[in-house]
Amino acid sequence: MRLGKVIRWEFGQSIRSKQFLIITILIPAILAIGVFAASRAFGSDSSAASDPPPAIIGIFLAIILYLGAFMSGVMTMYGVMKEKQSRVVEMMLSSVSAWELVCGKLIGLGLAGLIQVIVWATLVYVGASQFMPISLASLTLVHWVTYPLYFVLGYLFIGSIFGTIGAAIKDIHSGGAVGFAGMIPYLPMLFTALIVQQPGLLWIRIAGFIPPFVPSIMLLRIGATPLVTEGAEFVPTWEIALSLASLALGTFLMMRFATKVFEVGMLMTGKSASLRELWRWGRRRG
Amino acid sequence: MIEGDLLRVEAVSKTFESVRAVNDVSFAVSRGEILGFLGPNGAGKTTTIRMILGIFDPDSGAIRSSLDGGRNHVPKERTGYLPEERGLYSDAKVLDLLVYFGELKGLDRAESRVRAREWLGRFDLLDWAAKRVEKLSKGMQQKVQFVAAILHRPDLVVLDEPFSGLDPVNQNVLREVIAGLKDDGAAILLSSHRMNLVEELCDRIFLIHNGRRVLYGDLDEIKESHGEHAVRIRFTGDGSPLADMTAVRNLRLDEGHATFTLDRSASVDEFVRHLPDSIVIRALSVDRPPLHDIFVQTVEGRAS
Repeated sequence: MRLGKVIRWEFGQSIRSKQFLIITILIPAILAIGVFAASRAFGSDSSAASDPPPAIIGIFLAIILYLGAFMSGVMTMYGVMKEKQSRVVEMMLSSVSAWELVCGKLIGLGLAGLIQVIVWATLVYVGASQFMPISLASLTLVHWVTYPLYFVLGYLFIGSIFGTIGAAIKDIHSGGAVGFAGMIPYLPMLFTALIVQQPGLLWIRIAGFIPPFVPSIMLLRIGATPLVTEGAEFVPTWEIALSLASLALGTFLMMRFATKVFEVGMLMTGKSASLRELWRWGRRRG
Repeated sequence: MIEGDLLRVEAVSKTFESVRAVNDVSFAVSRGEILGFLGPNGAGKTTTIRMILGIFDPDSGAIRSSLDGGRNHVPKERTGYLPEERGLYSDAKVLDLLVYFGELKGLDRAESRVRAREWLGRFDLLDWAAKRVEKLSKGMQQKVQFVAAILHRPDLVVLDEPFSGLDPVNQNVLREVIAGLKDDGAAILLSSHRMNLVEELCDRIFLIHNGRRVLYGDLDEIKESHGEHAVRIRFTGDGSPLADMTAVRNLRLDEGHATFTLDRSASVDEFVRHLPDSIVIRALSVDRPPLHDIFVQTVEGRAS
């Protein structure tokens, strides 16, 4: 199957690149320093009562997963731009369909991103558990089931946004308004503190159903809810199910859109697309 | 459909925004044939090629092939394409890249590897198999890309300016390889601005201008029916009656030497039979017009 071959190639090329090593090793090193500093700060508060509760690991994981999706998304954008600049795309499209190429890139680079995230999470867990009383045991079944789903769908959604940008712009310096589209899924990150403190606020719950905001908000909500609400109350299952369904649909549509833009954008390298052109390309038939 | 017609382009049109890039274009390529696909820049060549390869869909018309079961395109595994805009994954290793392209075209991994090594050997690139593409010179990358296009023994080969960037030695190698593909029964569409190579390699030509067909057919026949024959005569005697012949154009008459062109309507045979008795011919040559001139005349004629 051609899609499988594209996935294997993109994955293989990605994990053998220098950037991958740097991002996979260097970023965790920085994170480790951050965690170390944080633990010092917590420690200076002295009393044992102010130690973070074990469940804070849920929030840590949420942030790592979301960061991982972001990095993979950026790698996808660079991958698409490189494909366009090196002009290999014309040969590729004479061998595979644009849909196969886009999906193969997203999935292949996403798998590489998954490895990255696992490395980070492991390192952070090992490092943080030296200073804080966190434990994997405080993760519930809900975490184990929903986190991977939000990560995978969230990455594919974000990756296809970045892929679309990569196909639409001439080079990294000429993104214009199009480039900002990549920031949309990150808007909720501005409210991280609020989401963690009051995960049950109505507008946060509503925003949690809007595809671009689903991964960041839901990961944080699921991570934070057991911390701030005493006892049994958790993020309701129907909210999780609805947000996942909404994200899945949004992801599919975004990938279709990315493919269309890719088809048009990749073969005309002369200029960057405006938002209006992007919209027209994306809806183009045939 | 005739057995030999591997590719048939039928009344194909394509419009971008408001520009009619390709307008009602039809032609066919059969096995064991090289069709020269010519036209000035921006005439619609690349768009037509992309439609043949299924990168674009035509707005109207059809691309048919004896290879598919009546579907409206040529199966991608059966085509090989060398685009004019060259490009490979620059940080991949040469052999890995070729194996990948072979696999995408349906070869299994081992077979793809064997063939890639074979071709690298033929193009004198075996030492570079484990190097990254970016380390290769432009000409080498060009050869690698050509190999990537034909590794899977495609039935339909589309080559866009295959000789550009190659030194004369490699041009010869490539020429032999292309002739070999033809002998093996591939249908080849060759697009190039190098008229001498087109004349040498192609059986038939298709000339597209402003998205439309302006010339199509057997190269020899086109040469017969287009442009003016160039005539050179060495003689003794009085050459002045030549000037009175209706077929003679652009006469330059020197002592014992005449060069001129024949009027399009004149037949070579008629002309030779009616040469004046006043001259004794020492040498006579009638050359068919070079394809280059036909191209220029046709395109300029259409433009005005």
